[in-house]
Amino acid sequence: MSASLPSALQTLANYRIHNTRASHEVVEKGKVLLNSNGTSRLGDDAWAFLEQLALAAIDVANYEIADECLRRLATKFPESPRVDVLSGIRMEATQPPEVALKFYNELLQTDSSNAAIYKRRISVLLRMGKIERAVTELSEYLDTFYSDVEGWVELAELYSSCNQYTSATQALSHALLLAPQNPFYVLQFAETAYTADDVPLAMKMFMLALDIMDRNVSEESIPTGVSVRAWYGVKLCCRALTERTCSSASDTPLPQNLDLLDELSTERVLTAYSVVGKDFDSSRELVLSWMGPSDRTGGRPRFIH
Amino acid sequence: MSSSAVSLYLDPQIRDWVLFPITLVMILVGVLRHYVVLLLQSSPKKLPRAAIREQRALARSQILRATSANSPIPPSYYRSISNRLSAAFEAGTYLKDGPPQGDGPSAPPNPMTDPAAMDGMMAGMKTQMVMMVPQMVIMGWINFFFQGFVLIKLPFPLTLGFKSMLQRGIETPDMDVRWVSSLSWYFLNFFGLNGLYRLILGNDNSAVDTSQAMMASPFAAGTNQPGQPQDYVKLFKAEKDNLAFAEGLYSWMGDDVETRLLRKYGKLRSV
Repeated sequence: MSASLPSALQTLANYRIHNTRASHEVVEKGKVLLNSNGTSRLGDDAWAFLEQLALAAIDVANYEIADECLRRLATKFPESPRVDVLSGIRMEATQPPEVALKFYNELLQTDSSNAAIYKRRISVLLRMGKIERAVTELSEYLDTFYSDVEGWVELAELYSSCNQYTSATQALSHALLLAPQNPFYVLQFAETAYTADDVPLAMKMFMLALDIMDRNVSEESIPTGVSVRAWYGVKLCCRALTERTCSSASDTPLPQNLDLLDELSTERVLTAYSVVGKDFDSSRELVLSWMGPSDRTGGRPRFIH
Repeated sequence: MSSSAVSLYLDPQIRDWVLFPITLVMILVGVLRHYVVLLLQSSPKKLPRAAIREQRALARSQILRATSANSPIPPSYYRSISNRLSAAFEAGTYLKDGPPQGDGPSAPPNPMTDPAAMDGMMAGMKTQMVMMVPQMVIMGWINFFFQGFVLIKLPFPLTLGFKSMLQRGIETPDMDVRWVSSLSWYFLNFFGLNGLYRLILGNDNSAVDTSQAMMASPFAAGTNQPGQPQDYVKLFKAEKDNLAFAEGLYSWMGDDVETRLLRKYGKLRSV
């Protein structure tokens, strides 16, 4: 076993860096390390490893290992806010959410600056189904810790889940400000705006996402991944705009050259499905029939699930 | 010239009992100082939530302004965020102690009355003391015991301009510049040991940091401590103006995005 120990350590460190949630594997590898007293050889990395193992063990409901890790961490770092969060998560795993909430509230009373605990409390509230309170708490949290992009995206998703699409786009606009280079947020904004029936705005945002994504891509290349989705979005918006008069809650002007854009997006989506392969044939048929002018009256697919 | 240089002989005892001890003491004191500073450093104090909010409110509008010339968000959204922020700055919503009551003169807070600011100042003072006191003691020690000693002869010739640097404490007009006096040796060590500290203590050690701060200006360190209390009322007022400027610069990236896309894919002739 000792021969593969370095490689196991390497894998675990890799998971830590990339935030991979491979809990089963982590527990399997970590168990060996924990039993063989390999932690003493890790030096300062040992504590990060113990935290990782504790989280993974809670994930797969292996509470013995989690408690062992927690015990070691707590003796090394008494009163550490990070260990507090970890023991809170451990508490959430087996005890009723009210107990965990109370624990978090007590922690926040002594130290009101611990962002991680606010987030845990919000997640407990969500699990209890108290979305309204979670949204309020999340907005308050973001009012203080503004630069938390994931918090804003979460807020947008919460709003979307309550059909509050306009509020969702507002939350997403903060995420866009914080991470203007991330096309996924732009795409999400576009899809939310589309669902909120602000088609001109959605169209602009779809194109903006494409503008960001395809910046380093030549025009002959085949669109892949999210850019296919964005081209679909442009196509959908074009169709909606030519079929009916769309109002825009945000007063976004209609794009010029709508017919050219329609043509371009059709072309790009078809290019995406031009790859020859046995898996693609059936989907290409579907896309072609959807793109065809005969099916103009098809219902609007919704993006938000 | 060379005959006069040879005419001076240094007792090897000077090397063993003065030159080496001075160097050794200075190195050890540097190492010691590093650890004393580590001991004295109190863990950064935790701010209450309201204080964090106050501190980060400025960052919010800076983030908004940073992209205003090529903003990723549409005009109506930009304007609503911008207006809301400037209204909040105006009303003082983000201030730690809530909006200011009445129209009393907004005097800058006195650092002596705020215990948090006092702590910050004390920490700075302590670090400075740790840095100054040993240097003064060593200098006194050298001045008292080894005043006027010639310690070492540099292996290369130098011009006369270096005389004041290398022979401090010895008032001789004729001695060769290559001879180094004890006090000058102290200064050479004082400024020259940083590299050694970096080797011994690692890159971010306080022995180097403090002596570099001292090199820049011995007394300037006290003027801009990080713990200095800031007058957020004034900062917010200024930020409000900045927001107004940024709104003037604002343009949406989406304004001509369709033209950009169409040009890229050759549907529109580029002009």
